[in-house]
Amino acid sequence: MFALSKCSLNRISVAPFAAILLLAACSSVPDAEKTDARDPYEGSNRKAFAFNMGLDTHILEPAANGYRNVMPPVGRRAIDSHIDWTGLPATTFNSTLQGRFENAGLSAVHFIVNSLTLGLVDLTEDPKAVKSQDFGQTLASFDVPEGNYLMVPVLGPNTSRSLTGRVVDSVTNPMAFLKAGDAIQTLQTLRPPVAAVSTRANLFKAFNDVKYNSLDPYSRTRSLYYQRRAARINAMVGKPTNNRTADDQFESFLEDPK
Amino acid sequence: MTRKSQIGILTADLRAWIRSGFVCLCLLPLFLTTLPARASDQITAANNVITSMISEVETYLETDPGDIEKRTENITKLLDTHFDLPAIARFSAGPYWRAANEQERVDYVQTMRDVVVDTVVRNFDQLSGLRFTTIDSQVKGDKMVLVRGTFNDSTGKRPPVSVGWRVITPAMAPAKVLDVEIENISMLVTQKQENITIIRQNEGRFSALIEAMRKRQQAP
Repeated sequence: MFALSKCSLNRISVAPFAAILLLAACSSVPDAEKTDARDPYEGSNRKAFAFNMGLDTHILEPAANGYRNVMPPVGRRAIDSHIDWTGLPATTFNSTLQGRFENAGLSAVHFIVNSLTLGLVDLTEDPKAVKSQDFGQTLASFDVPEGNYLMVPVLGPNTSRSLTGRVVDSVTNPMAFLKAGDAIQTLQTLRPPVAAVSTRANLFKAFNDVKYNSLDPYSRTRSLYYQRRAARINAMVGKPTNNRTADDQFESFLEDPK
Repeated sequence: MTRKSQIGILTADLRAWIRSGFVCLCLLPLFLTTLPARASDQITAANNVITSMISEVETYLETDPGDIEKRTENITKLLDTHFDLPAIARFSAGPYWRAANEQERVDYVQTMRDVVVDTVVRNFDQLSGLRFTTIDSQVKGDKMVLVRGTFNDSTGKRPPVSVGWRVITPAMAPAKVLDVEIENISMLVTQKQENITIIRQNEGRFSALIEAMRKRQQAP
């Protein structure tokens, strides 16, 4: 029988407050010191970034390195598949809100079919047919402004809109309300740290390149985040974000390359 | 002026106007047909430069002796032939290019060239076993084409990577690569934003960027 998990409820109630406290703690930077107009809280964001890099150096990077060396490819695929599976209810919910009913239906079917294996083995014909959707994208589809750039401790780069989306996704995801035995409960508890290690392992070289070879890893991370997010929103929602696309920048440059 | 001569002038004006209109009408289809022809030429030029570059990379990979000096020589030749390094330098400096003096510009282009060559030489092994397949080519304005494709690992160990090449296609000069986009992330835009940050952190000093690049290059 499904029931509310106490642990999940605690996580749900703490997340929004933590986000609000974090936003209140942000201190703005004088205009002269701003390196990007979208990042008015650069001072506190850089402190959060330094904290995240410390966390990465001492915990995540060694764990991801061990994971890459120890876990066989089949095990890594199973874990990635399970992580994708747990995100499907949020995709169904958000696709419905956006009026993308085909994607909503597909994600619901994929969730039900793969629930036979808890998502560890993908039983569908085309696992990539479902386009992952979050509440940040739903807000973008409703023309909610992107807001400011926020580097959140542990969670990493966000905009205020995408952070709100993450909070809403964690509250509305039915997976957070399920309690169907100790095995599932354990999987749910383990999911966030395992997802972090798995993602870090999948992006090991690229992440290390940013971390160790950049002139300024903070600004590089910000740029990568904005471009990746803009591409996701443009592809699925079809609405431009407030950062200029690469094409616009190149076209302006070619108009006057001097 | 008599009424007859006035009419004569009007008639001549009218004739000239009609003649020029007729010429315009005659030229219009020609103009309309040259537009797609120009776009088609741009796409052909961009595809050719990518095909030629990939072919050279494959040759270098097959014959790569692992000798860093030889590899550096090959990569330098490849970049000079197929990439528009001066344009890459100008773009990556953002608005600060205009503020830089002549010596800073020369130093920056040279340092950036060295950094790009070093980066490619260091990561050249990672290209081994990859095969590029073009998916499509789109004209972006009248001077650029985006050639999109996928790098597939022939061993199947690495997932496919989506790559876009932004190629400058001037009418009177050879086409050259300006930017590489990996999984929708432009390498040049990323570098530009990082460079701007470094300059702004140093009170707008362009030389601070060159110093930072040299320092990073010398780091182990």
